[in-house]
Amino acid sequence: MPEPTTDGRNLSRRQLFKYSGGALAAVAAADALAACGGGGGGSGSSGGGGGSQASGGVLIHGATGGSSKDTIDPHRPVTAPDIARVSNLFEPLLFWDDNYQIAPAIAESVEPSADAKTWTVKLRQGVTFHNGKPVTPEDVLFTLNRVANPKSPTSAGGALSEIIDFDKTKKVDASTVNIVLHTPYAVLQYLLAEYTFGIVPTDFDVKNPVGTGAFKYKSFTPGQSSVFTKFDGYWGQKAFVDELHIQDFSDPNACVNALLAGQIQTMDNLPYNLMDSVSKQGGKLLQAETGAWIPFTMRVDQAPFSDVRVRQALRLICDRKQMIAQALAGHGTLGNDLYAPFDPAFAKDLPQREQDIDQAKSLLSAAGHSDLSVQLFTGDDIGSVAPASAALFVQQAKKAGVTVSVVKKTPFYGDDYLSYPFAQDFWNTRNYLPQAAVSELKRGTYNETHFNNPKFAQLIATAQATTDEAKRNTLLQDAQKIEYDEGGYIIWGFRQQVDAYGAKVQGIKPSKYLPLGSYKFQYASV
Amino acid sequence: MADVAVLPEPLEEVAPPKGRHGSVAWILWIARRLGLAVLTLWLVSVLVFIATTALGDPIRAILGKDYNADKARVAQLTEQLNLNESAVKRYLDWLGGLLHGDLGTSIANQRPVGQLISSNVLNSFVLVLISAVVLIPVAFGIAMISANYRRKRPDTVIQTILLALAGLPEFVTGILLVALFSTTVFHWLPAVTIAGAGHPWDQPSVMVLPVATLVLAVAPYVSRIVRSTLLEVLDSDYVELARLKGIPEKVVLRKHALLNAVVPGIQVVSLQLAWLAGGVVFVETVFNYPGIGALLVDSVRNHDIPVVQALSMIIAGVYVVVNLIADLLSILLTPRSRTAISS
Repeated sequence: MPEPTTDGRNLSRRQLFKYSGGALAAVAAADALAACGGGGGGSGSSGGGGGSQASGGVLIHGATGGSSKDTIDPHRPVTAPDIARVSNLFEPLLFWDDNYQIAPAIAESVEPSADAKTWTVKLRQGVTFHNGKPVTPEDVLFTLNRVANPKSPTSAGGALSEIIDFDKTKKVDASTVNIVLHTPYAVLQYLLAEYTFGIVPTDFDVKNPVGTGAFKYKSFTPGQSSVFTKFDGYWGQKAFVDELHIQDFSDPNACVNALLAGQIQTMDNLPYNLMDSVSKQGGKLLQAETGAWIPFTMRVDQAPFSDVRVRQALRLICDRKQMIAQALAGHGTLGNDLYAPFDPAFAKDLPQREQDIDQAKSLLSAAGHSDLSVQLFTGDDIGSVAPASAALFVQQAKKAGVTVSVVKKTPFYGDDYLSYPFAQDFWNTRNYLPQAAVSELKRGTYNETHFNNPKFAQLIATAQATTDEAKRNTLLQDAQKIEYDEGGYIIWGFRQQVDAYGAKVQGIKPSKYLPLGSYKFQYASV
Repeated sequence: MADVAVLPEPLEEVAPPKGRHGSVAWILWIARRLGLAVLTLWLVSVLVFIATTALGDPIRAILGKDYNADKARVAQLTEQLNLNESAVKRYLDWLGGLLHGDLGTSIANQRPVGQLISSNVLNSFVLVLISAVVLIPVAFGIAMISANYRRKRPDTVIQTILLALAGLPEFVTGILLVALFSTTVFHWLPAVTIAGAGHPWDQPSVMVLPVATLVLAVAPYVSRIVRSTLLEVLDSDYVELARLKGIPEKVVLRKHALLNAVVPGIQVVSLQLAWLAGGVVFVETVFNYPGIGALLVDSVRNHDIPVVQALSMIIAGVYVVVNLIADLLSILLTPRSRTAISS
């Protein structure tokens, strides 16, 4: 199934946000305005109640968002079912754990040199592919080349393809690989831990996909279902269930019905308005914090937003609690105009911004815009949270005498995307440096606010070359202070991930990375 | 279902051919109808082709904002869709492939279209077939009971229920059935189809609710038409004569009335079945049934032109064939037109 390669720098906006943390398209489509009382009875933090987990059985996972475009290519997943598939068949060198921290996987360690240009990857011993072949440095090199070949990188490998030096990236010994970069990059581990970086053998064939995951391939029908079986030679905790099926659904209601009827055991991206019907009828809910955000974006190079006082005033107009309560049906955490909340460098000490109409008014009148009137661009393809929060912002702005008129674009991600003066957007969980690189630097692919601050760029460049984490975090906190004071984003909150599973399912824990405990179905028993 | 309102008149086209032998006349009639069918399909193929590829730039539609960015993909699609050729040449190539059973290659996942759609086509076909097998006796049976109790209480009750069912959209019926039998009230039947690699009917209980939904959607309509035809026939002179000769009412109803009322019924049933075969997207969505309708919607969304073309042709073909069979049956069951052809 040769898929067209997409140039990393030109990949479509939709693809990027789907890749970058995935699976959110369906949830963004959740009817966020529906009143929802929260997940009363069924909301459990962990599926593993009392008692030991039993082995055997079949786990059927229901997923929405798939289509006949579905793929099983480890390095080109797009939709939620694609991501669920690759997360069970393949494994990257490192993992994002449930707390969005880096953990070892196929690599025991990945260590940078002092200049952050040479990275030493030590492979775990005894890891074998589904066909019995041990994982070797050659496989790692093959995978790197498949993902990040500068001539035809996959969308997921775009960032790495710009910095990796394939001439010098080499095998050192039977269990060591050196990854060499053209330019220093101190957080390479973030890129290597993405689910789009699954290690595959040198003779990889997508028609018979072989990986190292806890499940091995049995069959796959795009748009319908795939069947995987337990891999007995798995290096980590072997799966409880004998078979894993991933079943496509075109409609979340049908998926919920299947769960309630006991036909499937898990489903991801449960729309908030269906939470009650699941928990009241015996299903269990799995709720997890995420770092996914639906910001308002102001172009810092265009009037009236080129005046920092106007930007700060609009940030003060925003009633973040009301946004979460209504646009996210209460399922979100508070935002402080800063992204990457799980990053160790996250500037959590900056004071939480609250609605302050008086100060907003005085800032506006100082800027000469006491009767400001602006257009806010939105669209259904951002997800249903966007139009809902746009409507709320119109009301909140009225209190400060600002007239906001909403303009709905179809499609939003069309030719005008990245040039709207005041608009909205949709981003998934990422850490600070990868996010800033695409959205806050002058060269960034998706610099929608046209943010271009030399001091900020200098801080980012220095941080990228700083391997000492404490020093790097200080630099990044300085960068965040700049965004907090002058940036073009209004980040009012981060949405919560809600998934559901059947009453008999045990062992699924919430994860900040991907839905349903990062789709690690080997921990689930039925 | 609105398109059923205008029933084709099967007898219209049959001018009594004079002075020929019966079998020759039949062969001529069938040949003529087959010719018309082929002509219809050819016209459909032209329309489908124009609508999908010849208007505007299909690649621009497929790639959207990536059109300017992704030159490699543009080149690859241009080659796959042969866009360097003239539209006429492309049409002839496509038609030629179609006639040889080569439906092209899917744009969405690069698999042969025939392989991609075959299981969905079969799934839809089986669903419609089972629905038809259930629908026909149910609809005719209800019509007969209703006609038998004309304007008495059972008839009124039946007509009220039928009218209510006819007014319910089929997906509402489906959702209610799922809540009743699968999730909320009872847990007797599977709520959705989980076919895996096999076919839905590998687990027969999966078929119950989709079939029930389709039958409930179509049966009221067929039933009401058959009932009104039956009532018309029951009032006719020859039925009155049969009664006067002392034939029991049951036999009158079955032999004299039903056989004469069956022809409009066949026409309605055939159109309804063709409509069902075209894919009932709502029902397929509610039950996650892997049929034609969901696949067609998916393909349109993916701008998967070869799949859309193939499915459109199949649906058109089903309409033509089902109508042909219905006309043939109608003529065979109507002595007047039967003799008109072969006399």
